[in-house]
Amino acid sequence: MELFTKPSAIETFYEAVMFEMLSYEFMQRALIASVVIGLVCSIIGVFVILKNLTFIGAGTSHAAFGGVTLGYLIGFSPLYLAILFSLVTVWVVGYLSRKGYLKLDASVGIFYSLTMALAVLFIGLMKAYNAEIYGYLFGSILSVTNMDMKIILILGAIVLLIVYLFFKEFHFITFDEEMATASGIPTGWLSFLLLNMIALTIVISLKSVGAILVFALIVTPAAAAYQLTYSMIRMFLYSALIGVGSSVAGVVLSYWLDLPSGATTVLFVSAVFFLTVIFSPKRRPVFSLR
Amino acid sequence: MKNDVIIRFSHATIAYQQRTALEDISLEIRQGEFVGIIGPNGSGKTTLLKSILGLICPDTGSVQIFDCACHKLRCHHKAKIGYIPQKGQIDPNFPVTVMETVMMGRYSSIGLLRRPAKRDRELVLNALKEVEMDGYRDTPLGHLSGGQQQRVMIARALAQQPEVLLMDEPTTGIDTPTQQSMIHLISDLHRNLALTVLLVTHDVNMISPHVDRLALLKARLFAVGPPAEVLSEKTLSEIYGKQVIVTTQEGGTYVIIGDYHHV
Ligand SMILES: Nc1ncnc2c1ncn2[C@@H]1O[C@H](COP(=O)(O)OP(=O)(O)OP(=O)(O)O)[C@@H](O)[C@H]1O
Ligand SMILES: [Mg+2]
Repeated sequence: MELFTKPSAIETFYEAVMFEMLSYEFMQRALIASVVIGLVCSIIGVFVILKNLTFIGAGTSHAAFGGVTLGYLIGFSPLYLAILFSLVTVWVVGYLSRKGYLKLDASVGIFYSLTMALAVLFIGLMKAYNAEIYGYLFGSILSVTNMDMKIILILGAIVLLIVYLFFKEFHFITFDEEMATASGIPTGWLSFLLLNMIALTIVISLKSVGAILVFALIVTPAAAAYQLTYSMIRMFLYSALIGVGSSVAGVVLSYWLDLPSGATTVLFVSAVFFLTVIFSPKRRPVFSLR
Repeated sequence: MKNDVIIRFSHATIAYQQRTALEDISLEIRQGEFVGIIGPNGSGKTTLLKSILGLICPDTGSVQIFDCACHKLRCHHKAKIGYIPQKGQIDPNFPVTVMETVMMGRYSSIGLLRRPAKRDRELVLNALKEVEMDGYRDTPLGHLSGGQQQRVMIARALAQQPEVLLMDEPTTGIDTPTQQSMIHLISDLHRNLALTVLLVTHDVNMISPHVDRLALLKARLFAVGPPAEVLSEKTLSEIYGKQVIVTTQEGGTYVIIGDYHHV
């Protein structure tokens, strides 16, 4: 904070951001990607938080990482295999819980370690050490290519469109799935669709934020927004603002201070979360902000 | 119209993994009837309602509503059944307002890919007026008392414009004066809107002056008929396994069951 009060620091900051950073094409890409990812993650995150799907997000991101390692091993697109692995995970997990074989959390736990075991196995089978793989684990937004960018934009648009189209049904399902079913909402395929959107969101963010950290970008903005409001619409709005803001701030700060982008973003959004907890009007009527 | 059978159980048996929850149930409910369902804990009351909604299918026999097997119910059929589940835990911080909650009752009729229209908002406001909660439309649901939340749930069911109302212990955990006003509210709705009402409760004495028939359940259907017939000391003590005293006071039948807490 002190940095911002010194004029010289502000000047260096603006110089670094405005002139230098934006002049690089990879930084422009990184910023656009961070806006899209921040937006998609924070919107999906609201459903994840309200429907208690936190663990499925974590499981799916590790499954996606398993797909990435297989891609590098057999020389096939890591991203496509990540999509395949995470979708298959939510399909199987969703099926098992719907049929009543196993609770969602338990089967996610199985897939979580299964896909990580596969990832370790695939890495072990590789002849040479591959640093790029670790980029998928911890994320590096600067490595986002034009091809990645296209996929981020297309999948991001799909997720946002689906959420927009089925918003009222998703709202009802997150509130009370049984009641929604009873009143005639086709909850079967709609919940399944929602699970698939979570999987896609994770894939979009995999390269830039990393399998281990993506999860924070989904859960934390929504959790922060949850502290602030009793209205569903506002919760989406606040979550999106916090998500996009943190995502962009993470990229800018990491560039400026030469820190890893994924970690910087997560630290930033976590700081925002703790602030919202402290100032939450839900728990601290003294500070009521409404 | 009044005598059309709207819900029909024929020899329906429903079992969970090991336990048989309902055994050989045969019961016909006519359009516009108000039926109270009583029975001890675990006697299958909730299962009975869920089978009507097609949430659980009978293993043998059949359950039909609107002349359609319940597990084949289409969405537009379900939209005509208002369901108030046994009170679950409402997360007091869940971001939803009273108005939004009641609007959910409209979602199924509005259909996919469409937004609520002016008429839906009118129906929601009317439903809120019916339950005298229209002053709370922007209040977060979690800020209401248990009784008020229950009224909102009834409004949500009413906003569906249902023909049938299924209520699972709507008055449990609510103070006695509020219980009375809720029962009167339900009774009025039944009469004014010509609704078929199935109401599950443990409070026999509160419900019996209002219902057309009582159904006494303990896995099997032990008795069904007008309250005065069903409420016999012999049947009740057999079912509840406690001493039962049935008295007639001020024209109504009054039941005292051993040390059973809910009655
Ligand atoms: N999901 C379930 N899985 C297994 N058994 C169940 C399930 N739901 C209910 N049961 C069993 O079925 C029987 C009937 O349950 P039900 O919930 O219908 O009873 P109830 O009459 O509504 O009881 P209460 O008065 O406590 O609400 C009980 O013995 C219960 O143990
Ligand atoms: Mg019950």
